[in-house]
Amino acid sequence: MHPQPLLQIKALTKRFHKLEVLKGIDLDVHQGEVVSIIGSSGSGKTTLLRCVNLLEEFDGGEILLDGGAIGYRVHGERRHRLRDRELSRQRAMTGMVFQAFNLFPHLTALGNVTLGLTQVKGMARAEARALAADWLGRVGLAARAGSYPSQLSGGQQQRVAIARALAMNPKLVLLDEITSALDPELVQEVLQTVKAIAGQGTTLLIVTHEMRFARDVSNRVVFMDSGRIGEMGPAADVFNNPRSPRLAEFLRSSRD
Amino acid sequence: MDYFLNELWISRFALTEGFLRTIEISVLSITFGTLAGLAIGVALTYGRLPLRLLSRVYVDVIRGTPVLVLVLACFYIPTVFRISLEALTAGVLALTLFCAAHVAEILRGALIAIPPGQTEAARSIGLTFPKILGFVLLPQALRAILPTWINTGAELVKASTLVSIIGVGELLLKTQEIVGRNFLTLDFYLVAGLLYLIVNYAIERLGAAVERRVSQP
Repeated sequence: MHPQPLLQIKALTKRFHKLEVLKGIDLDVHQGEVVSIIGSSGSGKTTLLRCVNLLEEFDGGEILLDGGAIGYRVHGERRHRLRDRELSRQRAMTGMVFQAFNLFPHLTALGNVTLGLTQVKGMARAEARALAADWLGRVGLAARAGSYPSQLSGGQQQRVAIARALAMNPKLVLLDEITSALDPELVQEVLQTVKAIAGQGTTLLIVTHEMRFARDVSNRVVFMDSGRIGEMGPAADVFNNPRSPRLAEFLRSSRD
Repeated sequence: MDYFLNELWISRFALTEGFLRTIEISVLSITFGTLAGLAIGVALTYGRLPLRLLSRVYVDVIRGTPVLVLVLACFYIPTVFRISLEALTAGVLALTLFCAAHVAEILRGALIAIPPGQTEAARSIGLTFPKILGFVLLPQALRAILPTWINTGAELVKASTLVSIIGVGELLLKTQEIVGRNFLTLDFYLVAGLLYLIVNYAIERLGAAVERRVSQP
């Protein structure tokens, strides 16, 4: 394992008006690690992920990616949110897959994957299309490259979204409850895709309600409880020997 | 009937001239008005506060003003500053202002209707805002406003009759002149009405064709 973690979250705090949703999060994720965040709704899991992808501003603490602070520039006592151009450059280092897929409806599956390659990475069109086609193949959708999102099932749309995120070759991939909006019979195809990717050394930070999946795929599991990290450890420990009553109760309730 | 056909033959050049002038005014003001309207619509939706307020004032003032008043204002107000616009220029300016305000407002409506997840997904792959606008938001919004935009175009052709008040020899003024000479009031207004109908029918067909072309599953 590398000496310096790929992602370092230090004393992260975030409030929406008066409501404090993150109350000081410390979390390191190392290169190649798969870390799942579990916890009940409203515990701050998704907000944490959105802060890492700079979709949310945060109030205190810092996030370092590959050793460099992201999102803000500190001037003495004051911190300033970076400009759009710099935020965009930093966001390109992470990939994100959303609960609601968020595919671009006016572009084909291939077009969805190609857009970032040509417009962010500056790849030539032909090269981008070849790479995009390759990624669609890896998520099992080579035959649907020309389909528009509305012509794809939810599971297929989510796999296109995974290809779109991974084709950018991000250092870190964030998965935000990616199976929550899917019909039950479509969940497995998406989870299988993620397992395949996890096996290839991609660093993943996953927010999920699929406990079995979290246990199977993760090196480490983080239990979040009302804005704090309640418990954290190897997947087997967290699931088999919960130390806190809160986690034990959460695991019991999510088994039914 | 013979008298009418004879008068129609005599008026053919005047009618053609008026008809072409109407088309010229409409095409110019729709083109400029749409381009300006798209820019103002983006400012209205995503601009910083001062720009947003300015665009909002513009859109509300223009939309709250009768087009006839706009035409007169564009013709007479510049003379206060010792600028004299040709009647045609003033007329096109008035209709452009009118068109821009409407396009801006319908574009804003379409832009805010796009789910925020679209912008977030575009951000997450590292696109800067101008590129998000150009590759993700506008393509979706422009498709959505197409039917309303076509409608605005047809409205504008009809509104172009109002520039006759400042003496632009478009179809309506030409028709009035012809009627003033031969007193075939009903006949020639029917001819004019038919010509307007043809233009707007053409716009409607064109719009339908474009919609089919850009439509997606």
